[in-house]
Amino acid sequence: MATELVRMENINKFFGRVQALENVNFTVYENEIVGLLGDNGAGKSTLIKILSGAVLQSSGKIYIHGKEVDIDNTTDAINHGIETIYQDSALVTQLSIARNLFLGREPLKGPSFLQWMDQDKMNVEASRLMREVGITKNIPPTTPISALSGGERQAVAIARAMFFDSDLIILDEPTNNLGVEETQGVLRFVRSARDSGHSCIFIAHNIHHVFEVVDRIVVLRRGEVVADDIDPKQTTVHEVEEVITGMRVM
Amino acid sequence: MVANPSQAKFDKAKRDSAPIDSPSTLQRFIGRREFGPLVLLIVEIVVFSVLSTTFMSTGNISNLLAFTPEMGMMALGMTMLITSGEFDLSVGSVFGLAPIIMWTLFNQEVMPLELAFFVALGFAVLIGFFNGWFVTKLKIPSFLVTLGMMMVARGTALYITDGFPQRTWRAETALTEIIVGDFYIGDFRVYASLLWFILFAVVLGFLLTQSRFGNWIQAAGGNSSAAHARGVRVNRTKIMLFILTAVMAAYAGITSSIRVSAANPNSGTGYELEVIAMVVIGGTALMGGYGTIIGTILGVFILRMMRNGIVMIGIPGLAYNIFIGAIILGMMALHSWLERRHHSGT
Repeated sequence: MATELVRMENINKFFGRVQALENVNFTVYENEIVGLLGDNGAGKSTLIKILSGAVLQSSGKIYIHGKEVDIDNTTDAINHGIETIYQDSALVTQLSIARNLFLGREPLKGPSFLQWMDQDKMNVEASRLMREVGITKNIPPTTPISALSGGERQAVAIARAMFFDSDLIILDEPTNNLGVEETQGVLRFVRSARDSGHSCIFIAHNIHHVFEVVDRIVVLRRGEVVADDIDPKQTTVHEVEEVITGMRVM
Repeated sequence: MVANPSQAKFDKAKRDSAPIDSPSTLQRFIGRREFGPLVLLIVEIVVFSVLSTTFMSTGNISNLLAFTPEMGMMALGMTMLITSGEFDLSVGSVFGLAPIIMWTLFNQEVMPLELAFFVALGFAVLIGFFNGWFVTKLKIPSFLVTLGMMMVARGTALYITDGFPQRTWRAETALTEIIVGDFYIGDFRVYASLLWFILFAVVLGFLLTQSRFGNWIQAAGGNSSAAHARGVRVNRTKIMLFILTAVMAAYAGITSSIRVSAANPNSGTGYELEVIAMVVIGGTALMGGYGTIIGTILGVFILRMMRNGIVMIGIPGLAYNIFIGAIILGMMALHSWLERRHHSGT
């Protein structure tokens, strides 16, 4: 089996008396795309939020490269190489493309007591990255996000994950609200991210998008993992749908 | 990036797509949020100069420049805070309280003036910290937190003094000279406070537009959860800005008390709303995400000149608020119109 990248062990999460996750074990290996599926309220988002540091688990352990780690906040996750692209686009619409790309990790210049952002470098890198993710229009990197289309915004978020060379990129509903062509663009990126050595967790309502791109499918149902090694090449969409709704056990 | 067939398509598309028309320098200048306030200020100056012979006199301008920096310093701090998505109603009270603390400590011979100055600023730091802590940690809206602090600070100033002004004329020290000493350039009387105002404006303008902290301020105001997800310390940023705003208000109050030779426990009443008005008239977004120091300077002058100018041309000073209100409404309408035009164009 491939090398283990992230392992979540016996994860439980309670919101008050409601148990959102129950003894979840979830592993992502290097160089793979995992599709995480489940109906609304199955616990996908909670699981992902724990991994990205937005929510703290009630109990359970997280290992990265076999070493136990604490992910108490989003900074921890980013420092451990976990990058999350949320469905409610994690961009500041008032800021420019370049400023968003480098938000939280702005390159600085000047003496240490008086540092300012290296905006030239930010703009040059931003232009290069936008071309790499396949934005063909000539959009200046100083353009505010509010002036971009949904697909272009997604591209900025994806470019950010690529640039910071995260080991694990979590895409939460990345194809929502995108046109057919833009969706293909996103799927293409996910593949090339894997080919260049990243792993991805891919969450989408559209099972067909998941089937097109993932190597392995994990299904959550009512806070529990009900299947964690479905091969999309040997399974039909219909069968997976039955697992999600609980009509079939795999 | 791995080579793929789409690359060829992409290169072709790149050749085919004509470069987007980049707007001319003039268009970009007009598109800036500071453009509206700039036009308004120029119109104001022209109208008042025509209607009043004394408006542009040396005496009047130097008068105008004596008081403007005090409001201006508060507005600078407020600009940074509003950009981060919060605001502070307690600045007027802190403006009144800080000099009361400083002069009471000095007049009662508790400590030398210089030390009392720093104690007063220290109080402002505490007030700002409490404001910020309540807003970020207890998640109480800044409207309520700073409304409470406004009353606490004002009440403290009144309680300490029994409502009586503190005398400040006894002291002409190096400190008071540095803060608000005056000198003449020809007939033109200049207060040191104007130089401090310019210095603060340059420093804060640099901070807001060029520094990492400035990027965080705008991100916190624009989309705080997204900023937080990127590792931006949103709460710490906001707490620091509440402290900055309170310290600027305290410093402005101390400046004012020295200049007018009295620390009145009631001074600064109502300033909070005028300061917020100056900031939003200048183009800073009240809901955060975008702020402009240049716009704020314009906003400060628009309102101060209005107060001065309507008196000079013979309109009763009591009518001042009518004009201020009309300016606020007009500028907000303009900003919203520009915003909609901008969005429909994309």
